[in-house]
Amino acid sequence: MSSKVNRHHYHHRFNAQSFPPPCPHLAEFRARNGSMPFRSLEDCLRAKPPCGRAAIRREPSEVPRCGACGESARPRLYACVACAAISCHAPPELSHAAAHATSMPPGHEIAVDVDRAELFCCACRDQIYDRDFDAAVVLSQSTTLKSATIQSAKPENLCKRRRVDYLPWSPDMRDRVLMESGSSPLVYGSDMPRGLRGLNNLGNTCFMNSVLQALLHTPPLRNYFLSDRHNRYYCKQKNGVTNSNAGGKRNVGTGDGNGNKNARLCLACDMDAMFSAIFSGDRTPYSPAKFLYSWWQHASNLASYQQQDAHEFFISMLDGIHEKVDKDRRKPHNQGHGDCCITHRVFSGILRSDVMCMACGFTSTTYDPCVDISLDLEPHQGGPAKSASMKTHPSCNGEADSLNSGQNCGISTLMGCLDRFTRPERLGADQKFFCQQCQVRQESLKQMSIRKLPLVSCFHIKRFEHSSIRKMSRKVDRYLQFPFSLDMTPYLSSSILRSRFGNRIFPFDGDEPDASNEMSSEFELFAVVTHRGKLDAGHYVTYLRLSNQWYKCDDAWVTQVNENIVRAAQGYMIFYVQKMFYYKASENQVAL
Amino acid sequence: MRNSVNRPPTPDAAEDPGKEPTLQEIINIKLIESGEKERLMELLRERLIECGWKDEMKALCRAFIKKKGRSNVTVDDLVHVITPKGRASIPDSIKAELLQRIRAFLVQAAV
Repeated sequence: MSSKVNRHHYHHRFNAQSFPPPCPHLAEFRARNGSMPFRSLEDCLRAKPPCGRAAIRREPSEVPRCGACGESARPRLYACVACAAISCHAPPELSHAAAHATSMPPGHEIAVDVDRAELFCCACRDQIYDRDFDAAVVLSQSTTLKSATIQSAKPENLCKRRRVDYLPWSPDMRDRVLMESGSSPLVYGSDMPRGLRGLNNLGNTCFMNSVLQALLHTPPLRNYFLSDRHNRYYCKQKNGVTNSNAGGKRNVGTGDGNGNKNARLCLACDMDAMFSAIFSGDRTPYSPAKFLYSWWQHASNLASYQQQDAHEFFISMLDGIHEKVDKDRRKPHNQGHGDCCITHRVFSGILRSDVMCMACGFTSTTYDPCVDISLDLEPHQGGPAKSASMKTHPSCNGEADSLNSGQNCGISTLMGCLDRFTRPERLGADQKFFCQQCQVRQESLKQMSIRKLPLVSCFHIKRFEHSSIRKMSRKVDRYLQFPFSLDMTPYLSSSILRSRFGNRIFPFDGDEPDASNEMSSEFELFAVVTHRGKLDAGHYVTYLRLSNQWYKCDDAWVTQVNENIVRAAQGYMIFYVQKMFYYKASENQVAL
Repeated sequence: MRNSVNRPPTPDAAEDPGKEPTLQEIINIKLIESGEKERLMELLRERLIECGWKDEMKALCRAFIKKKGRSNVTVDDLVHVITPKGRASIPDSIKAELLQRIRAFLVQAAV
């Protein structure tokens, strides 16, 4: 029936919208009569082939007329659900349907369009929607049509895609008894929140420790592993681990001492073991030796005691978990939707890249999945003197204020970096793009935007510059200011496109992001991985935000710090989580 | 639907001596009785979708709703807004085709 674009758009619309609430007259009608009147209308409906459009059943020769004026040629005739009186509705001159509703006793406000089988409220003078009525329409159509496909399966769609409202839950007495009988309560000191535990440095592994600390407190990831969604014991059983050495791989004596001889590698299982250890309540520093060993096996080119790049480790680790978890299902590279594994569900978003031909305006669009966004710092402004002064006054409030006034004094901010990331960039004369319309290489304009936001956004600041021209690498120490709360709306594809056409309200086909409500564009900062020092001799430290307190995780040492320390730190990887996943501090600690 | 005691008496508009059915009404009745009206409606729907008229109207409605806000719009508003534009933008070929069909119907119905 409708074109492909329409159906796709319609689909999207129903995804985003919830079922409209009933008007007061409909609510009253349903309260008085229940759902029976609409269901019984099924007998009065007739779906006419070939396309199965539903209408009120009538004799072939019967001509419906308005009860009040006798007109039969009106575009809309409504039949009252209560008394079957037919009225016309032709605003603005006359509406006998509205007159019917007011003249009759209450209960006659709801009517059905005789030609289209759609509900109408004569008092509100507007179309209304009811689930049971739609169900009746669908049933009437499906019994008439021979083919199994249902054209307008509204209720089914809604049932599948309707989001269930969030209901807060707290355990009642019976639940508590059940929980207590199956487990033993953990003993927690009240000074520090749960899950804060130092990680021992196993030999220049601060790059790994810092990223692990951030991931251990990534809310969706933490919830996944703590709720046993990847159980390392079941995973081992399922993959048939035997005790004998397989393929000649021996325990190479890294000193972990647990005598594990299995050659099966699963980074997710190691993560699961780490989560259990970290959240166990034990405050002594933990040694992630098993994880390190597994990661070495996965990324053997990086297996050494040298300092590595934390971002490189992050990517490699996500990839490792994806590979091991996804091995059975073998999904193709469809990571944008995050259905393959937990890491992609949490971190992967979709970037949109538009290349516009400067000559004819033809735009070529591509979508790429991404697990993080790498941002360039601004090219040199203001020189080393400025950055040095920032570093020596880290906790001064006055500095913090001047930092907030941003661009004017040449301070780089995260939002500035994102602005630059999504700014249209002119591809130079040496990078001419082949335009499909002009059929020749033309100068083009490229613009990036975010089509789909991930649950957790990781911003990687490119501080390590490897210049192939000058054959040297250097570190950019430039300070970057980052906010604690971030609104990503201006960087979404919809916003970018809209501004391209200059604030028009014209809809762009297929471009509404999946999460189009305001809630999912707001992000909260929860972890910052910082780097201090030189390119080849530096140290990574992670700052974690738990219950609105900041904690510094420097390998095995975890201390509480003031937020200004964090603001002044040199951010390298900055982690934001969607606001709805970010738990604020609660007054009452639940104790089992 | 129950047989409600509240049902008003069936109107006898057609038999009202004071009111002669107009030519328009007679044609309409004939169209409906023979089932031709439904066929013409189907044909019109098909043609309007083919030429993109339906999509244009949909876009106009969307723009209007976006401007006024989803909860401030009724069906009447929408119909009022897009009717003049809709009528004006129907391609002539479709008008011609339908008029042709109606003419043909009248010729064979008058016999």
